[in-house]
Amino acid sequence: MTRLALRRTFLALPTIVAAATLVFLLVHVVPGDPVDVMLGESAASVDREALRHALALDRPLAAQYARFLAGLATGDLGRSLVSDRPVARLVAERLPATLELAFGALAVALAIALPLGVAAAARPGTWLDRGAVGFSLLGAAMPSFWLGPLLIIAFAIELRILPVSGRGGPAHLLLPACTLGLGMAAILTRMTRASLLECIGEDYVRTARAKGLSRVTVLARHALANALAPVVTILGLQFGALLAGTVITETIFAWPGVGRLTVEAIQARDYPVLQGCILAIAAGFVIASTLADIVNAALDPRTRPPSRRP
Amino acid sequence: MLCVLSCRTGAPPPPGGTIVVALESAPAVLDPRYATDANSSLVAALLAPGLTRMDEHAEPVPALAESWVQTSPLDYAFALRPDTRFADGSPLTAADVVATYRSVLDPALRSPKREALAAIADLAAPDPRTVVVRLRTVTASFLETTNLGILPAALAREGQLPPERVLGGGPFRVQRGLSDGGVDLVPAAGVPATTPPGLRFRVIPDGTVRALELASGAVHLVQNALEPDLLPWLRGRADLAVEISPGTTFQYLGMNLRDPRLADVRVRRALAYGLDREAIVHGMLRDTAHVASGLLPPSHWAYSGEVTRYPFDRAQAGALLAESGIGADAAEALRHLSYKTSTVELRRRIAEAVQAQLGALSLLVDVRSYEWATFYADVRRGDFELYSLAWVGVGDPDVYYRIFHSRMVPPEGSNRAAYANPRMDALLEAARATLDPGTRVRLYAEVQRVAADDLPVVPLWWADNVVVHSRRLAGFVPAPDGDLRWLASAHLEPAARAAATFDCSPRIAYCRVEHAP
Repeated sequence: MTRLALRRTFLALPTIVAAATLVFLLVHVVPGDPVDVMLGESAASVDREALRHALALDRPLAAQYARFLAGLATGDLGRSLVSDRPVARLVAERLPATLELAFGALAVALAIALPLGVAAAARPGTWLDRGAVGFSLLGAAMPSFWLGPLLIIAFAIELRILPVSGRGGPAHLLLPACTLGLGMAAILTRMTRASLLECIGEDYVRTARAKGLSRVTVLARHALANALAPVVTILGLQFGALLAGTVITETIFAWPGVGRLTVEAIQARDYPVLQGCILAIAAGFVIASTLADIVNAALDPRTRPPSRRP
Repeated sequence: MLCVLSCRTGAPPPPGGTIVVALESAPAVLDPRYATDANSSLVAALLAPGLTRMDEHAEPVPALAESWVQTSPLDYAFALRPDTRFADGSPLTAADVVATYRSVLDPALRSPKREALAAIADLAAPDPRTVVVRLRTVTASFLETTNLGILPAALAREGQLPPERVLGGGPFRVQRGLSDGGVDLVPAAGVPATTPPGLRFRVIPDGTVRALELASGAVHLVQNALEPDLLPWLRGRADLAVEISPGTTFQYLGMNLRDPRLADVRVRRALAYGLDREAIVHGMLRDTAHVASGLLPPSHWAYSGEVTRYPFDRAQAGALLAESGIGADAAEALRHLSYKTSTVELRRRIAEAVQAQLGALSLLVDVRSYEWATFYADVRRGDFELYSLAWVGVGDPDVYYRIFHSRMVPPEGSNRAAYANPRMDALLEAARATLDPGTRVRLYAEVQRVAADDLPVVPLWWADNVVVHSRRLAGFVPAPDGDLRWLASAHLEPAARAAATFDCSPRIAYCRVEHAP
């Protein structure tokens, strides 16, 4: 398992650097000038040039890229063009919020999807099954920019039991986590149900039943354990996306996460901050999918690296 | 369980009387030498006032300086108020003023405000309460630039200060930055006991959520950051007051005079006649603006209303277009105009209204909305046919020089249309070199007349200041430029007392100050 983790981490480095390079090129090619956005109408053209020079924005793209890579190698992500604060600190300040929301959403999604998916698969064709399928359709179809304000109006304005927006205690987390988690739960419910139904039809399940095991034991220990592999894969991908910051949900709930920081950096053409965000996001993706692989390897020996096979 | 959760909301919550203001974007730079965006300037003004400030008629009035005299056309002497102190209690002296100005003028510190102060040749502090300034040339608009926030001399020697270290002579100081980019302010040392115990500026990027936060009571004030369509709903709430007062923000339709069609003044006038601005102001802005005759609002000391106006007249517009060869029967390519705007929902909808109204004149307007940095870069580069933007915070009328003088084409200035009229140039040069107020009023009246005839931009409207606040918040004072200094003497009434005011009709509190004719 350690080897798997090490190998994946090693393979991840080029992925992260490639992502950062791509973003570096894209943001520099897109029109828009950080100096103009920063100074607005107030400054003289000489001062603009001076600032551009001081920020090394007047140097060739290749030179800027080399500087970026050199900084990366030494762990220096640079300073924000706008606030002049270290990028690493800006990103580090936002990461806890993103992690909190990601885990919150994950918890909501799992708490809904697993019981519902298992129940639906255990009783296919019943009202429970149809209800679960209907819910997952609805959940996947509801955009967060609509669901978010709806939840706010219901729980914060009408019932007045939860705060509208911002980050604070667990109460602040509940609405954004539900907004994100409901959408995720929809897909996971379908995945759990489909995967479990497939497993229930397998020979080893029939064998287990024939041995005289109880229905619950068969479902939980034999079928579900096998059915979870694709669910974990999807979960890993979705969790990676959550770590990338969920811009719309973060915007609605004024949640100070990495997603908002990324959008703000794009708007201001704050290149160093944007690159820092992308690095964090890419790393988040890689970590999440690595974790999913590790969990899968634990669940399913077939997915382990060859050396570990008996 | 939900009750238990709700009891633990907001860690750490602002103390009792803290006034919470919601902003749409972060006040990222609070150092007055570097703050240029609207929200940063608004908050920085509460921390660090300057020698002077602009009043509602755009005239300089005392702030840290109690008075000033102009001893010669090039020399000014400012007398500081006798009791000026920084927020930590240390005295604010003339040496601090000199150091702050010197740091802005120091090219190494790269302040974006250096250009604005370029007229200063030298300054000195002959005694702790007096600042003398010598200018290079006669600069009529000099007192507009003396609103620069003053920092302690020791801090002014450094480059851009992070928000937590900004210290000025204002009624508040920074307590700490918030993780959402907002900031908590606490009263400065020695301020009157009536100062609220705290101000919290929260960043809430979504407009609907800003309105919902007001409704929930967690936010007490939102200024100019709400969709007009939400105002009827907000007005209907007994716990909120909607205050609309005239503002100075000038929205205009920009045209590229490098385009041979738009170089023809008849076409520009046709566009002005063809736009039903009243309808847009009423239907889309919900009457939170006044149709404009030019850049300067009626409250401005240099405003002149004696200019050509272009009331909605489709027949007249059609005739002018036909005269200039791009009437309904002209080739399609000639009737095609692109209109660039930002991605802000309201701006896009206004663009569609303009498209429809000009479409009625057989003009084919192609609306393109761009994310802000791209849009702004295109406008500065002159890569547009039509666009719409606003001038915010218009102070001294010398701003006309930057916008309409033929030498001020970007990157030098903001004459994006590449408008050139020797008469306008001469007027603007004379007006900035004249100190006599009467002469300036006369010259700028002429500037406004020429601008209305030449139409280098089509004036659209002056946006009102739209303030929505909790009825618990007492002490609101309207300011045309959106200044928030009144918060220093505002206070939050306890929730119970405020409940008594729930009975009064929301319509009574909804005050509308009418424009002077």
